[in-house]
Amino acid sequence: MVTLDVRPQLLDALSALRDRVAAARFPLPLAGAARARANRDELLAQLDDYLVPRLRDPSAPLLAVVGGSTGAGKSTLVNSLVGRRVSEAGVLRPTTRTPVLVCHPEDHHWFSGMRVLPDLTRVWVPHHRDPADDLLLPGENPARVLRVETADTLPPGLALLDAPDIDSLVADNRVLAAELITAADIWVMVTTAARYADAVPWHMLRTAKEYDVTLVTVLDRVPHQVVSEVSRQYGALLTKAGLGDVPRFTVPELPESAWGGGLLPATAVASLRTWLVHQTLDPAARQQVMGRTAYGVLDSLDARMPGLAGAAAAQYAAALRLTSAVDGAYDSEHARVRGRLQAGAVLAGDALKRWRAFPLDCTPGELLDTLVESLSALLLCAVAAADERVEDAWRREPAADAPELAGRERAPESAEHRIGLAVRRWRRELEEFAEDEVRELDRSVAPDPEMVAALVATALLGGRRARTAGEGLAERIGAHGALRLRDRGGRLLVAHVDGVMHAERERRLAPLDALDVHAEPQAELIAALSVLQKER
Amino acid sequence: MTAVTDQDHTGQPDRDAEGASRTDTAAPWDDGLIARRVNGEEPSAATAARGPAPQPVTPLAYDPALRSRLDALRELIGLSRTRLDNRTLAQAGRILDEATARRRLSGQHTVVALAGATGSGKSQLFNALAGVPISETGVRRPTTAAPIACSWSDGAAPLIERLGIPPRLRRRPLQATADADERLRGLVLVDLPDHDSAAVQHREQVDRVLGLVDAVIWVVDPEKYADAMLHERYLRPMAAHAEVMFVVLNQTDRLPGEAADQVLDDLRRLLDEDGIVLGEYGEPGTTVQGLSALTGDGVGELRESLARFVSERGAPSRRIAADVDIAAARLWPVYATRRRTGLSEEAREEFSDRLADAVGATAAGEAAERAWLRNANRACGTPWLRLWRWCQERSEPSTGRVAPRGQPDEEATARQRVEQAVRTVADRACAGLPAPWAQAVREAAVRGSQGLPEALDELAVRAGLPPGRPPRPGWWPVAVLAQVSMTVLQFLGGLWLVAQIAGLMAPNLGVPVLLMAIGIVGGPLIEWSCRMAARGPARRYGLEAERRLREAAAGCGRARVLDPVAAELLRYREVREQYGRVAGVGVAGRG
Repeated sequence: MVTLDVRPQLLDALSALRDRVAAARFPLPLAGAARARANRDELLAQLDDYLVPRLRDPSAPLLAVVGGSTGAGKSTLVNSLVGRRVSEAGVLRPTTRTPVLVCHPEDHHWFSGMRVLPDLTRVWVPHHRDPADDLLLPGENPARVLRVETADTLPPGLALLDAPDIDSLVADNRVLAAELITAADIWVMVTTAARYADAVPWHMLRTAKEYDVTLVTVLDRVPHQVVSEVSRQYGALLTKAGLGDVPRFTVPELPESAWGGGLLPATAVASLRTWLVHQTLDPAARQQVMGRTAYGVLDSLDARMPGLAGAAAAQYAAALRLTSAVDGAYDSEHARVRGRLQAGAVLAGDALKRWRAFPLDCTPGELLDTLVESLSALLLCAVAAADERVEDAWRREPAADAPELAGRERAPESAEHRIGLAVRRWRRELEEFAEDEVRELDRSVAPDPEMVAALVATALLGGRRARTAGEGLAERIGAHGALRLRDRGGRLLVAHVDGVMHAERERRLAPLDALDVHAEPQAELIAALSVLQKER
Repeated sequence: MTAVTDQDHTGQPDRDAEGASRTDTAAPWDDGLIARRVNGEEPSAATAARGPAPQPVTPLAYDPALRSRLDALRELIGLSRTRLDNRTLAQAGRILDEATARRRLSGQHTVVALAGATGSGKSQLFNALAGVPISETGVRRPTTAAPIACSWSDGAAPLIERLGIPPRLRRRPLQATADADERLRGLVLVDLPDHDSAAVQHREQVDRVLGLVDAVIWVVDPEKYADAMLHERYLRPMAAHAEVMFVVLNQTDRLPGEAADQVLDDLRRLLDEDGIVLGEYGEPGTTVQGLSALTGDGVGELRESLARFVSERGAPSRRIAADVDIAAARLWPVYATRRRTGLSEEAREEFSDRLADAVGATAAGEAAERAWLRNANRACGTPWLRLWRWCQERSEPSTGRVAPRGQPDEEATARQRVEQAVRTVADRACAGLPAPWAQAVREAAVRGSQGLPEALDELAVRAGLPPGRPPRPGWWPVAVLAQVSMTVLQFLGGLWLVAQIAGLMAPNLGVPVLLMAIGIVGGPLIEWSCRMAARGPARRYGLEAERRLREAAAGCGRARVLDPVAAELLRYREVREQYGRVAGVGVAGRG
C-alpha cells in the first residue's frame, strides 16, 4: 500500500529536477531531437501539471481526465456523468476544442488558481451556457484555455476533465490532449465499438501501462445487439496487451449518444459513476488511486530522464563535431597561409612585376599598394577555402541544418572588407616603424622612409625571392637597423595574420556558440535524477 | 496471353475455393451457403470465358501528352543518374515501372479500391455493390485482413495478379446484378483491409495496393471522418489524385435528419483543407457523397457515378498522370531553380580580370610603358643631362634592382588569386542551382583549375615581352641626330667664340652666340618634344604588353575552367528542360 504525504525533501529534489528539465534545450536538428523536445515538453508539463502539485497537496480533489479519439463520445459521457450539459456534444468533428473541467462548487478554489495546469487560461462561466469562445480576450489562443464548471451533482473531491481528441486533425489539440491526460489522477480512456482496434488509442493505453497509472477504459457507443461480443473481444485485446486487470465499462449506443440531448440516461453510466464516486469517497481507495499514479509517474522518470540526458549528450557531441570541423578547417588553412607567406607567395603576379620594375619604373608607394593587395588576396583566399571546407564537412552533419546555422549570410565581400582593413593597418604601422628607424639614423642624406617601408615589406613578404630587398635595406639603414626593422615588422605581420584568421573563425563559430550547447545538461539531468531517487 | 491465364485459372479456382473453405471454416460468414455460391459461381465464370472466342484484351493506351511526359521522365532519370543518389530517384523509377506494367495490361478495366478506417463499412459497401455477401463483415475489429477482388467482366486476371491477390480471394458479382449493370463492365473492385488499426501488416497491405490501383473509394463514417490518420497520412499526400478518388460517407443511417448534410459539408470542408479538388458542378475532381450500405440508401447513386467513371476508361492514365505530377513535385528541389542560371558575361569578364591580376598584366604593362619612356628620355636627353644622371647614379647606392633576369621566376603567378578567381566564378555559376548540380559545376571548376597556375606561369613567360631593350620608333634616330646636332651647334658656337677670343678669327659675336643659343635652347626643346612624342608609342607599347598577357591568361582560363563549367551548365539546362516536360505546365508555372 503506497501512502502519500508531504515530504519537503522529495519536493525539493523534484523541483530541482524540474528546473533541469526546463533548462534542457535540443536546438540541433539531430535524428532524435524532435522526439527529445516533445519528451521534454511532455515531462515538463506532467511535472508542472500533475506531479509537483499532487505531491504538495495530497488532499486536493482527484482529477479524472476523459480522453479518447474523435467522435468517441467523451463529451456525452462527461455530460451524462454530471447529469447536465456542461460540454458541447455534436456530430461535427472535432467537437470539443476547449477543454472543460467540472468539479463540485466546494472544490472550485482548487482549480480556479494556477495550482494545476498553470499554462492554461481559466475561463469560468457560472450558470448559463454561453460558448466559451465569446469570453476569450482578443489575441488569446483558443486552444490554451480551460473552462471550469461547477456542478453539485458531483461528489466533493472529484473533478472531471473533458479533453480534446487525441487524434484530432488540429495538431495543437492533439498536444493539448496528451498534456491534459498526463495531468490526471485517473485516466479514463474512451473508445467505441467501431474504434477499439484503432492504433492511436492503443498508443495511449500503452503509455498508461508504461507509467503504471490508474486507468479505466470505457467502451462507448456499443450497439446493444453486439454488446457481449464486442466487449469480449475488447477484453481479449486488453488482456493480450497486458491490461486485463483494468476496470472496463461498457456504455451502449443510444439515440441520445451524440446527437439529440447529449445526455445519456443515468443508468447507462451508473457503473462508471459508482466506481468513480467510490474511489473518491473511500479513503483507502483514494490513497491507492492517487499513490499508484503518482509513484507510477515518479518511477517513469527512471526511464525518461536518461533518455533526455542521452539526447542532451548527443546534442553536445554534434556541436563538438561541428566546432572541430571549423577548427580543423581554419587550423589547416592557417598553417597553409603561414607556409605560403614563408615561401613568398605574396610576391607574385602584380606584386612581382612591380618589384621587378622597382625602383626605376615603379614608386615605393605603388609597390606597397600591390603588396598589400596581394597579402589581402592571400588571406581572403585562405578564409574562403576554410569556409568551403567547413561547408563540406557540415554537409555531412545533420546537425548543421539548424536554421540558425544554415541561415548564415554568405558575404565574402564583408570578409574582404575586414581583411582589407587589417592589412592596411599593418601597412600603416609598418610605415611608422620605418619612419622611426629613419629618424634615428644620423646620416647626412636620410633615405626616403617610404622606400624603406617598401623594401621591408618586400623582404618580409617575398621570402627567398626578395633577398635583394634585404640587401638594399641593409645598405640604406645599416645592417642593425635593417635587422631590427625586419624583426618588428615580421612580428607585426604574424600578429595581424593570426588576428585575421582568429577573427574569421570566431565569426564562423558565433552562430553555433549562440545555440549554447554544452556538456553540462546531461550530467545535471542525471544528477537531479539520482538525488530524487535517493529521496524516495 | 490473357486467354491463357484465364485458362490457367479455370482449373485453379475449384481447388483454391476448396482450400479457402477448408481453412476458413471458423470464419463467421462461411456458413456453407456463401462458400457454395462462390464455388458454384467460379465455373460459370470460367465457362463464360471459355464459351465465346476469348476476346483479345486491348492493352491500355496513354494519350500522347502523358506518353511524352513518361518518356521525358525516363530520359530525366537516365540523365541524372550520375548526379543524384538512388534514393531521390527511386520513387520516380517506381512510378515509371508501374506505368509500364499497367500499360501492358487491360485498358478495358478499371481497378477501384475501397479503402477506409476499421469499422467504416468497406466490406459492407463492397457487398452492396457486388450484390452478394462476398466479403466478411462483422463487429470484430479489424475484420478484413487481406484484400479481396471482384471483377465485373473477364480478362482482368493479370490486373488482379498484379495486386498480389491470390485466386482464392477473387470473386464475381451476383450474376443478376452483373447483367443488370452492363455499364459496370470493366470494373474490378478491391476491398482493402483497414489502414488505422493496431495491426501494422494491414496498413502495409493498404499502402502497397493503393500504389497499384487506378482509383480509390475512401469510405468514411460519421464517427471517423475527421481522423488525423486518414487526412494526414493518406488524403493530403494523395491530393493530386483528386480526379481518381471518391469519398463516401457511409452509415448515414446512424445520423438523424439534418445531421447527415451537416457532416457531409464538414467533410467537404476538411477535404478542401487537405487540398483536394472537389468535383462539384461537373468539374473534374473528387466526388463526395453520403450513403448507407446497410439500408442501400445512396448506393444506387454511387453505382451510377462508378458506371460513368468506368465507362470513360480514363482512370488508369489519369492516375499515372497524377503520379507523375507527384514525382515531379517531389523532384522539384533537385531540378528547379527560382533564378535564371548560367554564367553572365560580367562573371566571365571578372574571371578574366582576376586571372590577369594573377599574372600581373596591369603591372607588366605599366612597367613596360615606363621602361619605354625612360629609354626614350635617356636616348633623346641632352648629353649634359645624361652626364648628370650618370654621376647621380654613381653616388646613390644601387637599389638591388640588378635582378638576375637570366632564369624566369618560379611561381610568377599568384596562386591565391587564381584559386580565388576559380572559386568566385564557380560560386557565380552555381548561384541558384539545385545542390547536386551546383556540386557538379563546382567540381568541374576545381578539376579545370588543377594545373592552371603552372600553365599561367609558362604562359607568362611565352606571352610576355621579349627581354632586353624595347624596340624604338622610326623617328628615334632622327631625334638622336637632332640632339647630337644641337650639341654640335653648341660646341661649334663655343669653339667659334673661343677662336675669336684667341684672335684666330675675325670678331663676329652675333653668329656664334646665336649658334650657341640655338644649341642650348634647342637641346632641351628637342628633349621635351621627344618626350611628348614618345608618350603615345610608350602607351601603346605598354597596352600591347598588357593585352598580350591578359589575352593569354583569359584564353587559358576559358579553355580550362569556363568551358567545362559552361558544359556542365548546359547539361543542367538539358535536364531542366526534360524536367519541364515531365512536370508539364502545372509545375512550370511555379518557376
